[in-house]
Amino acid sequence: MTAGGGGGAYRRVVIDLFRHPKNRGPLPDASASAEGANPLCGDRIRVELRGDHSHVTEARFSADACALCIASASLLTERVRGMSADDALKIDAVWLFASLEGEPPPGRRKCAILPLDTLRRAVAALPPA
Amino acid sequence: MANKYGLIDPADPALRDESEVALATLVSATAGSSKKIGAKMIVGKSGRIIGGVTIGGCVDAQVVEAADALFDKDDADRRLLSISLDDDEAWEIGLTCGGTLEVLLTRVDLGAADDPTIAAHRQAMELLSAGEPTAIVTPIQSGAASYAAAIDALDDASLGDRTFVDRIAPPLTLVIVGAGQIAMSLTRMARELEMRTVIVDGRDRYATRERFPEADDVLIGMPSEIVGAIDANRRTAVLLLAHDYKYELPVLRDVLRKPVGYIGMLGSRKRGVAMRDLLRSEGFTDEELARVHTPIGLDLGGKAPAEVALSILSEIVAVYSGKRA
Repeated sequence: MTAGGGGGAYRRVVIDLFRHPKNRGPLPDASASAEGANPLCGDRIRVELRGDHSHVTEARFSADACALCIASASLLTERVRGMSADDALKIDAVWLFASLEGEPPPGRRKCAILPLDTLRRAVAALPPA
Repeated sequence: MANKYGLIDPADPALRDESEVALATLVSATAGSSKKIGAKMIVGKSGRIIGGVTIGGCVDAQVVEAADALFDKDDADRRLLSISLDDDEAWEIGLTCGGTLEVLLTRVDLGAADDPTIAAHRQAMELLSAGEPTAIVTPIQSGAASYAAAIDALDDASLGDRTFVDRIAPPLTLVIVGAGQIAMSLTRMARELEMRTVIVDGRDRYATRERFPEADDVLIGMPSEIVGAIDANRRTAVLLLAHDYKYELPVLRDVLRKPVGYIGMLGSRKRGVAMRDLLRSEGFTDEELARVHTPIGLDLGGKAPAEVALSILSEIVAVYSGKRA
């Protein structure tokens, strides 16, 4: 994995997912949701899940956020669908950066990590099976 | 004035101790007037003067004299005052405006619950509070009582001869996305212009009451959702001052298809072109994208936050006054 600040593959992944994000938009009748914000840069995201601890059946996000944050949310909501809560909570930054095909520069890591933290809180809020 | 619309509210502290007032309204001008048609002055029976039908001088003085005379007559509640501006001496030295003004004087009994002017003004306030562009209709020829009506409900054909229709617009609401320094200056200036301000940001350290004591609302959350929930109309102006695409794009996607009267976005011309290109690729039309004023504000040359705020407010005043901006 290469550092992403300017890396070609990383940049293409981020821009493509920003322009064509998957799972963007509200999830009606969500079983659990969590909101997160980066207080200084202003990224705001809400992750909504349907399912229970044994099985996440649907995952969507809403965000007013930068391209990296939206790309990260798109990847994570794709990844978590079909997982149990225990497995979902194991998704980490290593997987995320590998999926982004590069590590964000130090000053932007928080943009990528915000959806991961928010997803974890949403997963923790899922009802028991 | 008695309130921001120039309407009379008997409970207004500015009218305390007054039993009666004369409401003077500028209803016509054959030459360029220094104030808009509909400009108002209230003359209290005790001598109190609030507002003005011109920017001052001899005309307002004549209106005050006529109001005093109206109080002395028990048989008249209304008078149409015609004032010539053709002062011979002033003409000689080129310091006259020329023409004729007409000012409608109406006597108002502040203690009478059934006073027709108070009733009409109360009705107008209710309509305006609901965001409805409103008119106070005064049949001058027939002498019938004034009444208030929503402008959309007015039927011009039924108004009759010499009827004055005083159109009153609800205040402008500025929805300001981005709680930075320009927004802070702007909310202070907007208050003086009697505009409502709503500050929107996702950052709770920026969008604080401490930073925006003059704002009518300070809302924290996802800006596109907050703006999307606002009941926008032509009297709503949306100002994108965050200088950050993360807020600009989602908010523009919403407001470009709403009937707001003004959309402005902070940033360079080049940035504006890029933003338009991106939204065009998503299906927005050139006509929709042309609604975005970017760079925002009139080009006054200033760079300081307060100077930029002034240029933005100048553009908004120009747009809503029907001038090209």
